[in-house]
Amino acid sequence: MSLNGKRILIAKPGLDGHDVGAKIIALALRDAGADVIYTGLRRSPDYIARVAVDEDVDAVGLSILSGSHKELVEETVRCLAELDAGDIHLFVGGTIPSEDHDELRQAGARGIFTAEMALDEVVAAVEADLNA
Amino acid sequence: MSETSRNPRRALSRALTRIANADVAETLAQQSGATTPEMSRIGVTGAPGAGKSTLIARLAKLRKVEEHKIAVLAIDPTSPVSQGSILGDRIRMDSIADDPDIFIRSIPSRRAHDGLTDNTADLLNAMEGHGFDEVILESVGVGQAEYTIRTLVDTVVLVLLPESGDAIQAMKAGILEMADIYVVNKADLPGAELMAAEIAQVAAHQSADDWTPPVISTSRDDPNGFAELDAAITAHTEWRKTHLDETASRRARARYQAQGLLSRRIDEIVDADSSLLDLDPQGLFDALIDKLNPKSRGA
Ligand code: B12
Ligand SMILES: Nc1nc2c(ncn2[C@@H]2O[C@H](COP(=O)(O)OP(=O)(O)OP(=O)(O)O)[C@@H](O)[C@H]2O)c(=O)[nH]1
Ligand SMILES: [Mg+2]
Repeated sequence: MSLNGKRILIAKPGLDGHDVGAKIIALALRDAGADVIYTGLRRSPDYIARVAVDEDVDAVGLSILSGSHKELVEETVRCLAELDAGDIHLFVGGTIPSEDHDELRQAGARGIFTAEMALDEVVAAVEADLNA
Repeated sequence: MSETSRNPRRALSRALTRIANADVAETLAQQSGATTPEMSRIGVTGAPGAGKSTLIARLAKLRKVEEHKIAVLAIDPTSPVSQGSILGDRIRMDSIADDPDIFIRSIPSRRAHDGLTDNTADLLNAMEGHGFDEVILESVGVGQAEYTIRTLVDTVVLVLLPESGDAIQAMKAGILEMADIYVVNKADLPGAELMAAEIAQVAAHQSADDWTPPVISTSRDDPNGFAELDAAITAHTEWRKTHLDETASRRARARYQAQGLLSRRIDEIVDADSSLLDLDPQGLFDALIDKLNPKSRGA
């Protein structure tokens, strides 16, 4: 199993400028064989959804350390659905308190990752999800 | 997910994925026959980091006049270690990336070693089929020798850097002769003027059929250079209409495509049975010829 041939968009929605995690994840996914596109900082959910469509990605990974993860996840899910792209898998990482995980899953996040998780566990989980 | 999404952008982008992923047999099966291309194709090539993506962003905006629909196909290198890639051109195209009328697609180079990617010609044709008037193709940052982009586009723009003294040497050796327009980018850096003057000297010798490749200095923050580049591309497009040898151009495309498909088919055969590689050169050659014959395929 690998991520060969999988296209993944790593995106930073909202206003926070913490990009270390996003860049680490982008490189880790590349090293696992994926084709990775990174949006850069401070993108709107609408922009992220449009890039996801144009680039025909298999998954969008949001990196959020601002605390606004609930709104940003919901909004991204809504924008993807509007573009007939609700089948694109969605992951979230960053500073996400565990009490919010259930709600994010219900909103459509297929995986939630925090700095406590080892990097290879994160990559393995993404790999398992996209190859399922 | 089908390619008949109610969102036409999605349908196009899914079609592009299918074409990019097609193996040799699939690629052959989906050829729709040679057509005369209507969409103009601009190729932007040059060394890694020369500023190609940044320049394409400026250029695409200028060329998107009125109803003119522009697409960008940006190729980034695949890591030979993981086969993965960071498709980084797009982030440099930031300033146009939020223009919903400009379609940008990033593609990894995969096994291609010529600065392009497998099935580039078919990707361009698909974009044409979706109604784009013009496509700008960004090659992987290449060294001096890879000019296959020439066979797939109408206008080749070579982006050079002020400090690349090597480029001047190469040009004197005739290697850079394939470009239609030279750009000395990052003209804000020292050495740009000298560089532009030296290239202009070489380009003057390269003039054929009344086209002397112009040498244009550009810099990220100076709109004049990009306006000049835009005008030069338009001038070259016009010139080409009356000077293009259609037969030669079609044949060059056919040759390039056949070479690419054959080389990929050889990879497919060898990947399926790497013990072939233990044969001596003649034995390997004969075995490959045998297996390339479709009648023995799968045998
Ligand atoms: C470094 C840091 C900064 C640096 C950022 C540098 C940079 N360019 O990134 C600086 C000093 C600039 C900074 C500034 C601020 N920061 Co700060 N910062 C941190 C700190 C200490 C570490 C973040 C980090 O880089 N971690 C390392 C990376 C590798 O971890 P990570 O991002 O979590 O990513 C991992 C996983 O989450 C996961 N992951 C992440 N994204 C994704 C995406 C996908 C798809 C997947 C699969 C996985 C995944 O994988 C990664 C690798 O394991 C955190 C505290 C903390 N310990 O988390 C605060 C923290 C994030 N900052 C915080 C704050 C408040 C700020 C400021 C507002 C402070 C201020 N008042 O000025 C500013 C705002 C800056 C801005 N413009 O947004 C708060 C956020 C509070 C909140 N969420 O409610 C935190 C949590 C500190 C705190 N406890 O209060 N900060
Ligand atoms: N000084 C200066 N820097 C520039 C200019 N244009 C681009 N750059 C910088 O050059 C670097 C490379 O720019 P890109 O546009 O990514 O170059 P590229 O040729 O597309 O790079 P690859 O696709 O990786 O080969 C970036 O850091 C840009 O910010 C310019 O006009 N002047
Ligand atoms: Mg680039």
